[in-house]
Amino acid sequence: MLHVTDNKTNKYRHMKQQHNATKFFNKVTSYHKMILTLSIIVMIGVALFIPKMTKDTSYDAFLPKDDPILVFRNQTKETFGLKDPMVIAIVNEQGVFNKKTLQLVHELSERLKTIPGIDPDEITSLSTENNIVGTEDGLEVDPFFDINELTEDKAIEVAKAIDGFELYQGSLVSNDHTTTLVVAEMLDSYDKKQHEVYKSLIAMLDEYKTHNEQFYLAGEGAVSGYLIRYIDEDAMKTNPFAAVVISFVLIFAYRRVRGVILPNIMVLASVGIALGAMAAFGVDFFVITNGLPVVLIAIAVADGIHILGEYYETAAKHPEYTQKELVVQTMVHMWRPITITTITTVAGFLAIAASSYMPPMTYFGLFGALGVFVALVYAVFMIPSAMMFLKPQLSRAYKRDQKMDRFGKIMERLGVLVLKYPKTIVVIAIIIVGFGVNGASKLVINEDRIKNFQSDELIVKADALINSKTDGTSYLDILIETPEAEDIFEPKNLLKMEALQNYVETLPHVKGSISIVDFLKKMNQSLNENNPAFYTIPNDKALIAQYFLLYSASGDPTDFDNYVDYDYRLANIRLRMDTSEYLFEKPVVDQTKAYIATHFNNHDIKATTTGKVTVDSYWINRLGFNHFLGAGLALLVVLIFSALSFRSLWAGILTIVPVSISVLFIYTVMGLLDIWLAIGTSMFAAIAIGIGVDFAVHTVDKLKFLLNEKGLSVKEAYNEFYKSAGRALLFNFLALALGFSVLMTSSVPPLSQFGFLVAVAVSVSFIGSLTLLPAIILLVKPKFLNITKQK
Amino acid sequence: MKTTLILGLLTIGLLFPENGTAQSLPSGQSIANNTFARNEGVSLSRTLTMELKDKRGKIRVRKTTSLRKYFGDEKRLVIFYQTPKSVMGTAFLTYDYPDPSIDDDQWLYMPALRKTRRISAANRGDYFLGTDLTYEDIKLETRISRDDYNYKTIGKELINGHESYVLEATPINDDIAKELGYSKAKLWVDAKIWMLRKADSWDVAGNHLKTIEISDVKKVQGIWTYHQIHVKNHKTNHETIFRLSDIDYQTEISDDTFTKGALVNGL
Repeated sequence: MLHVTDNKTNKYRHMKQQHNATKFFNKVTSYHKMILTLSIIVMIGVALFIPKMTKDTSYDAFLPKDDPILVFRNQTKETFGLKDPMVIAIVNEQGVFNKKTLQLVHELSERLKTIPGIDPDEITSLSTENNIVGTEDGLEVDPFFDINELTEDKAIEVAKAIDGFELYQGSLVSNDHTTTLVVAEMLDSYDKKQHEVYKSLIAMLDEYKTHNEQFYLAGEGAVSGYLIRYIDEDAMKTNPFAAVVISFVLIFAYRRVRGVILPNIMVLASVGIALGAMAAFGVDFFVITNGLPVVLIAIAVADGIHILGEYYETAAKHPEYTQKELVVQTMVHMWRPITITTITTVAGFLAIAASSYMPPMTYFGLFGALGVFVALVYAVFMIPSAMMFLKPQLSRAYKRDQKMDRFGKIMERLGVLVLKYPKTIVVIAIIIVGFGVNGASKLVINEDRIKNFQSDELIVKADALINSKTDGTSYLDILIETPEAEDIFEPKNLLKMEALQNYVETLPHVKGSISIVDFLKKMNQSLNENNPAFYTIPNDKALIAQYFLLYSASGDPTDFDNYVDYDYRLANIRLRMDTSEYLFEKPVVDQTKAYIATHFNNHDIKATTTGKVTVDSYWINRLGFNHFLGAGLALLVVLIFSALSFRSLWAGILTIVPVSISVLFIYTVMGLLDIWLAIGTSMFAAIAIGIGVDFAVHTVDKLKFLLNEKGLSVKEAYNEFYKSAGRALLFNFLALALGFSVLMTSSVPPLSQFGFLVAVAVSVSFIGSLTLLPAIILLVKPKFLNITKQK
Repeated sequence: MKTTLILGLLTIGLLFPENGTAQSLPSGQSIANNTFARNEGVSLSRTLTMELKDKRGKIRVRKTTSLRKYFGDEKRLVIFYQTPKSVMGTAFLTYDYPDPSIDDDQWLYMPALRKTRRISAANRGDYFLGTDLTYEDIKLETRISRDDYNYKTIGKELINGHESYVLEATPINDDIAKELGYSKAKLWVDAKIWMLRKADSWDVAGNHLKTIEISDVKKVQGIWTYHQIHVKNHKTNHETIFRLSDIDYQTEISDDTFTKGALVNGL
């Protein structure tokens, strides 16, 4: 559809449009009292839902609740009573096997039982676990120590007992004996309230500060809890800061109170309604949602900047206008470009929603789109209504004598450069594209939950210590299924499980594994004079069953709940890894699956990988695909939309050139700075496209108006363009770039990286739209601009 | 008519308030003594089916033959497992000595190993063979301890239609509490036949631990005999049901049955 309509129809359509718009804004300004009241009521009404918002910082939130992988994992968790643990490491450099440290282990284990949110029956430590000892003619299952009989000698005996109990080495006590763990599981009812439990635990550990021992708190539950508080504090810092920065930009742009206040009300409406709607629909606040207010602040203010720019420009040109005439005239000129830019930005957000399988991103896209749309509605209704309460005003930035300020002059100079060196600009752009394609092919998809925190945070240190001293805090579970009750007792099945454990323990970063097999081998050894040669699986199903009966003569009925189900048909093998980084987790999952495919899954025995590591590697794997799909979708929608609104495919293609280059440029930057394509960063492209394209839209719109409709010469048109539209775009750009830069101050690294990438991308789009785009137009002279017809 | 009757009864209750108050209630100690005085026969043979249920409702059923004989005050108990097949022939023998300072003796015969394993002296509060009953619960059966608790008789209530004294029991000291695993218990003892009908207990931290209900009490060969015990652990949601049948007090059981050697031969 290259330029299908002729000029006359275009002009007629334009006039009719203007007529309708004038009628519309006359109505708006007549009902200004009602509209303003309604605007404020709606804004406050929806925002009132915000306190109802719940936070979900768990990694499970990244999969829809009905995803089969997640459902299967939750079933396994339920079957074996597995929960997200709080892991306390007690470190004593002199060794933990002394009376005082063991007393401390006991005290902490007992006190944990009284902490709300902790399951008192699911605490694992040296003081809760049982030792299995062979006696002269039997088997003894006893606690490692009795607190009432604890002496220094007894503590040394406990050390020996652990040395003889392979499965507790690394999982309960570090191999160098300097660290021991107290693992506490949380009650399901405290889901999303992990931060309260975390706080209580930290307060409890604080009381023991004076001891020789050091305490570290980490684990899945602790990370979730820490994160809830962490993002809260971060939001309290970044959001007001963003508002302040934006206000400064507005002050510089118009040097008027209303120029600062009106756009800020729009921002409040956009953020308040988007978050309020989230809360009203019961959508959780996720880690990445923290970036949404700042993003909306930066975007929403742009419409206000353009409207006020036009207002002060008109006021300077037509001092005779009444306020109503000024406002209507301004809106008639501005409604179209701000609608177009809003639609492209909404398209960017919706592209994220449509391309992402992960609920946090889907909601980021949906409610981001809502916020941007709300900003448009408020720009069209609330701003003109509010202006009606004010008197006409001039801005010192726009002087009656049409003299330009400093910012206008900078832009004018840029215009001169573009007219002089269009070819150089195009060559530079081509070089950037080359680097960008190379960078895109080398993108590293990776994610690590602990990287949500800055490296000097307490939890990061605790996580690093526990991962280095013990078997680690990342769990990969393997569910073993057999057809009939007691089939787990079949020696051939147990041998298979043992072989699987032996195999996975050779994989990098897998530090240990525990299953019923380990307990059974220990029992067999104990019942054979503790002879290490009997640390094996007995070759007799009946004997194995009788061992467990013998065990029950002195153990608790629930002792093996985490490893085998009640009718001995299902079993769980738990692997522990010392890293939560996707790049290390993925190969372990893949290789385990490959092993299972060749050795298991016949009609006698089935194995399935599950647990946190499996679930994470599954959804993180989709990040790359989602990213490119989202970016592609955003580009496509923006292309179609601008082609339609300018009624020219050429115009559509031109508008997406700067944003495409900006995204490619970012790939190069990510490669250079070693930034991963992760949860936060993967959203940058679609957003950068949706926002960045606005500059190109304004450029094409204004140049079309000046060249095609006003019929100015190229030189005149360019000069006029850089002076007026260029200046507004500069402030639009500054607001966006500075707004996103505020995210860079976030203490959540994924958000700060996201802010950085979008800020850079927006800068590239801005520069591209004001240099490359006019340069291409100069060289190619596309038909829809009618440059050939110039006077 | 009915209203008048109820009003009349109420009036009687108000006029004779001492009915059911502490003064007329027997002391806990005397109730405990009465439970020990009850005739339990000398030897007893029965089929005991243990039904164990975990919190997800999965059930393990173990059918056994259980023989018991008093040797004076000493109680000997042997349990032969019949099902499931994997533990068939496994036998558990225990000697309960009346003196609590002497550790009980326990053995388990494992047919797959053809060996009898001695089970180290269990704490009285340890769980008995994967059930929710402790060794002490098993030892006492339907009696209540004469030595471990300070009792307070707090009233009379109907349990399954049987008038029972309600006792509050507190272990006499912390050591006993720890040993038993109970910080407190509430007991309902049948006022007519001196048999424990219900017991609630709380763990050392004060959490409601479990409820034991003894039901289906009938006279068998002239001796009051329970046919079912239901235990619910409120902390773990684990449940245990003992069903007893084929009860026989009359057939004499040889002393030799209660020896290590006899376990090997089974029944």
